[in-house]
Amino acid sequence: MKLKDRVAIITGATSGLGEAAALLFAEEGAKVAVSGRDEERGKKVVAAIADAGGTAVFVRADVRRAADCERLVSETLRAFGGRLDILFNNAGVYYAHNAVDCTEEEWDATVDSSLKGAWLMSKYALPTMIAQGRGVIIHQASGWGIQGGDLAVAYCAAKGGVVVMTKAMAIDHGKQGIRVNCLCPGDVDTPMLEVDAKNRGLSYADYMKGAANRPLGRVGTPQELARAALFLACDDSSFMTGAALVVDGGGVAD
Amino acid sequence: MKGLAGKRVVVTGGASGIGAAIVARFLEESSRVAVIDRDSAASQTLTRKHPGLVGIVQADVSDADAVARAFRELDGLLGGLDVAINNAGISIRHDFMDITPEEWRRVVGIDLDGVFYVAQQSARRMLAGGGGVIINMGSTSGMNGYPRYADYNAAKAGVIELTRTMAIELAPTIRVVAVCPGYVWTPMQEAEYTPEMKAAVDAKIPLRRHATPAEIAALYAFLASDEAPYITGHPVIIDGGEIAGGLASR
Repeated sequence: MKLKDRVAIITGATSGLGEAAALLFAEEGAKVAVSGRDEERGKKVVAAIADAGGTAVFVRADVRRAADCERLVSETLRAFGGRLDILFNNAGVYYAHNAVDCTEEEWDATVDSSLKGAWLMSKYALPTMIAQGRGVIIHQASGWGIQGGDLAVAYCAAKGGVVVMTKAMAIDHGKQGIRVNCLCPGDVDTPMLEVDAKNRGLSYADYMKGAANRPLGRVGTPQELARAALFLACDDSSFMTGAALVVDGGGVAD
Repeated sequence: MKGLAGKRVVVTGGASGIGAAIVARFLEESSRVAVIDRDSAASQTLTRKHPGLVGIVQADVSDADAVARAFRELDGLLGGLDVAINNAGISIRHDFMDITPEEWRRVVGIDLDGVFYVAQQSARRMLAGGGGVIINMGSTSGMNGYPRYADYNAAKAGVIELTRTMAIELAPTIRVVAVCPGYVWTPMQEAEYTPEMKAAVDAKIPLRRHATPAEIAALYAFLASDEAPYITGHPVIIDGGEIAGGLASR
């Protein structure tokens, strides 16, 4: 087991990639705080982990709010003996808009969940990790944090911010034994894609055909991204920090 | 790592340094490992250390004919190929103004030409076999300016672009990735450094230390395994945060 007895917080863990990571981290021995805004789905993820013999709790939180982030960290510490080893900032939302059509509310929701939320969670998680002298933070970025994409102005801004914030945090906290990396997925077969297809006025089949247009010729699975997150979370990546691990079937190579 | 047991793996420059650590890691993962190296003394030491090694073929990767012969020999040893690791490389510390054409040829010949020769031979076998993974040794030096290694840096930048292009052309049958290490504590490094020099470099790296060869080998194992089936065309940086802030060369 690669994460035996480590304590992990995963935000946006009630569905999709975050859910897959929660299940995998628990399978690898981690005690997982499953977080998200949807309590019903979150409790199902916790039950699935318990059924598989793992340990997890659900903590409801909206990462756009500082008070929620602070409480998510403190409840995790209380639940799992005061340790915190892994923070996976996975929560994020996406709206298909260009700069003209994007509303202020959509911009704020996008940037606040992916970028501000990742910072807030780090702000409250880091003191415990610094006191321990070790910890791992993984931010969810995107291939669109490296290259631009169509109808994703706020999302690209937020994810590009996450990629560089990752480097800044790696520089500040490396000497304290904390590694900070980000994941850059391409399109992953999650509920987010169905919503995006609808927003773009495309049938799901047509949308998925476009999403598969990359060297490996398919979209990624949540499990494949969870495996990459596991690599960054475990000791196999002990010299990696400040890096953006692109897991996108070759999407940004061309 | 999932899916490495029984995999047929070739490692160039596998007799010493990071290459030897990669060999050790894949043997630990129960892969079938063969090595291409030009150094016969180091090769003998490696064979004694790892009786489980399938074999060592002596060849200089900068010589296309020698690489072709080595791969024919590997065909007999491994009977096909699943993972190719282009690790062989050299560097010479010299100012740009002092680089001779012969030195340039030697560095680029091993670090870039050699990667191409080995990758093409490997890809032929993988396309015939229906799948495979090629991992090329890049470097953070192929992404940032770094004084006194212009030839090495240019070759490593070439490796990164070669990796991206191969990934696009050879998908979906073959995945092609590059590993870009920063400072790694190898016997070669140890011979060149005083303790003061090492401390000065360590102080500039966010993790405050060099990598161990085993840490680089772990990334190779991950990228070659079934844990990374959706990763291709990407140079993966493993540098303790060195180039996150562009710090280490200053």
